[in-house]
Amino acid sequence: MSELTLGGFPLDLLALQVVTGIALGAIYVLVGIGLSLIFGLMNVVNFAHGAFFMLGAYVGVFLYGYTGSFWLSLVAAPVAMGLLGLAVERVLVRPLYGRGIDDPLLLTFGLSYVMIEAVRIAFGLTGLPFGAPPELRGGIDIGIGYFPLYRLFLIVFAGLVVGALWLFIERTSFGLVIRAGARDPQIVQVLGIRISRVWLAIFGLGCALAGLAGILAAPLQGVTPEMGIPVLAEAFVVTVVGGMGSLAGAVLAGLIVGIVVAMTSLVAPDMTKMAIFALMALVLLVRPRGLLGRAGALG
Amino acid sequence: MTARTPSRTIDASAAVPAARPGAGRTGRGLALASRHRVALTLAFLIVFPWIAPYQALAANILVLGLYALGFNLLFGYTGLLSFGHAAFLGGGAYGCGIAIVHYGLHPVLALVAGTGLATLIAVAMGALAIRTRGIYFAMTTLALSMCVYYAFYQAESFTGGENGLRGINVPSLTLPGIRLDLLNPTVKYYAVLAVVGLAVWLFSRLLSSPFGAALEAIRENENRAQACGYDVRRMKLVAFVISGALCGLAGALQAIHLSIVPIETMHYSTSGQAVMMALLGGMGTFFGPFVGAATFSLLQDGLTTLTSHWQLFVGAIFIAFVLFLPLGIWGEVLARLRRAGW
Amino acid sequence: MVKAEPILAARGLGKSFGRFRALSDVTVAFPEGGITAIIGPNGAGKSTFFNLISGAFPPSEGRVLFRGRDITGLAPHRFARMGIAKSFQITNVFPHLTVRENVRVAAQARTVRFALFRDRSAYPELTERAEALLAAVGLGHRLDRLARELAHGEQRALEIAVALAAEPSLLLLDEPTAGMSPEETRAMMDLVQRLAETCTLILVEHKMKLVMGLCRRLVVLHQGQLLAEGSPDDIRAHPEVRRVYLGKSA
Repeated sequence: MSELTLGGFPLDLLALQVVTGIALGAIYVLVGIGLSLIFGLMNVVNFAHGAFFMLGAYVGVFLYGYTGSFWLSLVAAPVAMGLLGLAVERVLVRPLYGRGIDDPLLLTFGLSYVMIEAVRIAFGLTGLPFGAPPELRGGIDIGIGYFPLYRLFLIVFAGLVVGALWLFIERTSFGLVIRAGARDPQIVQVLGIRISRVWLAIFGLGCALAGLAGILAAPLQGVTPEMGIPVLAEAFVVTVVGGMGSLAGAVLAGLIVGIVVAMTSLVAPDMTKMAIFALMALVLLVRPRGLLGRAGALG
Repeated sequence: MTARTPSRTIDASAAVPAARPGAGRTGRGLALASRHRVALTLAFLIVFPWIAPYQALAANILVLGLYALGFNLLFGYTGLLSFGHAAFLGGGAYGCGIAIVHYGLHPVLALVAGTGLATLIAVAMGALAIRTRGIYFAMTTLALSMCVYYAFYQAESFTGGENGLRGINVPSLTLPGIRLDLLNPTVKYYAVLAVVGLAVWLFSRLLSSPFGAALEAIRENENRAQACGYDVRRMKLVAFVISGALCGLAGALQAIHLSIVPIETMHYSTSGQAVMMALLGGMGTFFGPFVGAATFSLLQDGLTTLTSHWQLFVGAIFIAFVLFLPLGIWGEVLARLRRAGW
Repeated sequence: MVKAEPILAARGLGKSFGRFRALSDVTVAFPEGGITAIIGPNGAGKSTFFNLISGAFPPSEGRVLFRGRDITGLAPHRFARMGIAKSFQITNVFPHLTVRENVRVAAQARTVRFALFRDRSAYPELTERAEALLAAVGLGHRLDRLARELAHGEQRALEIAVALAAEPSLLLLDEPTAGMSPEETRAMMDLVQRLAETCTLILVEHKMKLVMGLCRRLVVLHQGQLLAEGSPDDIRAHPEVRRVYLGKSA
């Protein structure tokens, strides 16, 4: 056993708590990237992002009840939310382009009411319990102590998703369009690409990421119709802390938020929720454009 | 430095709704109505209890109307979309309630205390949120109001935490030379109206003032206003604080009216309610907030008797308004009257 | 001839956007009075230079002096209060306010910014001033229209009235005739000439011919650098300018 302590806590425990924070942060990263993608490219704040997160979790949990395969849920939730996102962009958001920047925001805000209430009608008011799938239960020794296997899986899996996303944006032609479009939508049109197609795809991708984050978060907390509301606020914190539409910023800020939450829950469990927002207040005071915020900084 | 929103798909400086009913070439009838907008609004509110389904609902609508009015100063007249106004309604309600329950203050002083607490919260939130621009403002205000929500949630000994603050009993109001029985719903309505009327009058003065003109200029074109010599950030902060104070007054009245402050008063959904009422009624119109508050309350009241899932319909109706009736009910009425040459 | 203090001076002004160098080491002084035009081919850095001297964004290096006072990096509203007004390249008015209110609210910015509970009508001198300015720019018959209902040329004239409302001693105009019809262009240049009688004008212009007859001095930018400055005759005769700007006819 280690004898070293910091602030009255053994270093091993602090290190474990940091890893826990990274696992929590993995969820924030995925939610934040989805929000930032849509925002950075389309200048649209998706106020239904939390609702997509929640619905993704429900779809995953519901399917798990039938198939018993968590892996299938892990695919189905983002696909379902991606498809729903495509429909929402095409039918509801698109008519609002060219109007005030607040209009898509207001619309998705109304949509979140509809989605939450629809879930209440379909699955009841109280929510469903959900635990980690059997193959991911238990813990393993990671050198500094035993760590829940599922949280370790979260870190690895989210890392893979972010890596794939990075490759997609950096190495594919569509990624090039995304990067160009983030700087200047007119460039995309000059390239002969219909920007509306790009926006459609981006909105779907962002919603898919929210759905994926939802099903990944489900084993940590179960699912309730309201689970997306605090997540929306926290995703905003990630976006503001990370910086204007910056994907790298969202990754960094997501991890920081996760670690801050884990550390606060060790020191002052009652203050966990407030710590997130105190962090944002601090960033706004010191660096209002966010940690990696720069106009048009994607990737 | 001011963080600049990257102006991309929808240019922030061009982000002006399709038509603002507040301005334009106004016919003689509408110009006359506009000049007497306070008197007309009050006249309507005086007869309102006699046309509302029941009087407790009328008082609800009155208080919510003031809440939407305060919100509209920021959203409709300054062009800032806040998703954190529940912090001010709640701050006013808790401030007033705590003053009465814990300190036994006179209701009028409690109203002042509530408004004062909301104003303080608005100064703190505004100073931070104003550092971001454009669409970030909505996100930041939402997040900051959540922070206030959790703070009040945790301060259980003062606020009652999850159970809300109970026991705000104000059966009567003693003023020099007069004693009002607030258990009588009619008396209570008109007592609340006296305060709301004062706020409406002050609000109207503010809109007609040079400061009000500057706010509209900021809404129309922030960069141009700045190039004219307006310190846009400071003016936005002042508007934010006044808006917060008005909403705080509404919250304080609500605490006395309902005798309880539920923790939901501070919740995100209450912030959303202000947005919904302002948009349903007509943003940037003087009377719109009261129309919005009435519409929202009647919808809620009517739908809850039919279904427990009324929010589904409220959400759908709101979406329909954003898509097809962005001027809101009152804004659309004004636009039609104007087109007809009134 | 004794050289009076310049109204505006740029010292070693430069601006980079990431790796792109839009402007480097421009040192130039603008005399008080009359019109000075900043010209140059597309991509010469004219707009960047304009944005730097008008305070739209801070320079990467160098300083801007107004009447000898360092104003580098001041907030835009400070520029306005010192007597520097500007008209943007893209039309920039208050679209849903009336034409009269556009100018009135701009005039108000000088004196009554924070009067919260007096009525606007308590300041009739502002309205009179607005109407006089609008008459001067030829919009006296459009007072009650919404700004967005005006034609393009009229909107530019309105923008100039808005800028003048602050009673500036220096007026900066970014391509005042961009996108205008020939008639509108002529009217605008007449207006510019009249304005020069009351305040110092610095304008960015793409079309060299347009400004040759009007201005006292010219500043020529090319590829982000100062190429030449001097009287119209100097510039016309300048071999470098002839080469890069007028084509190969040198």
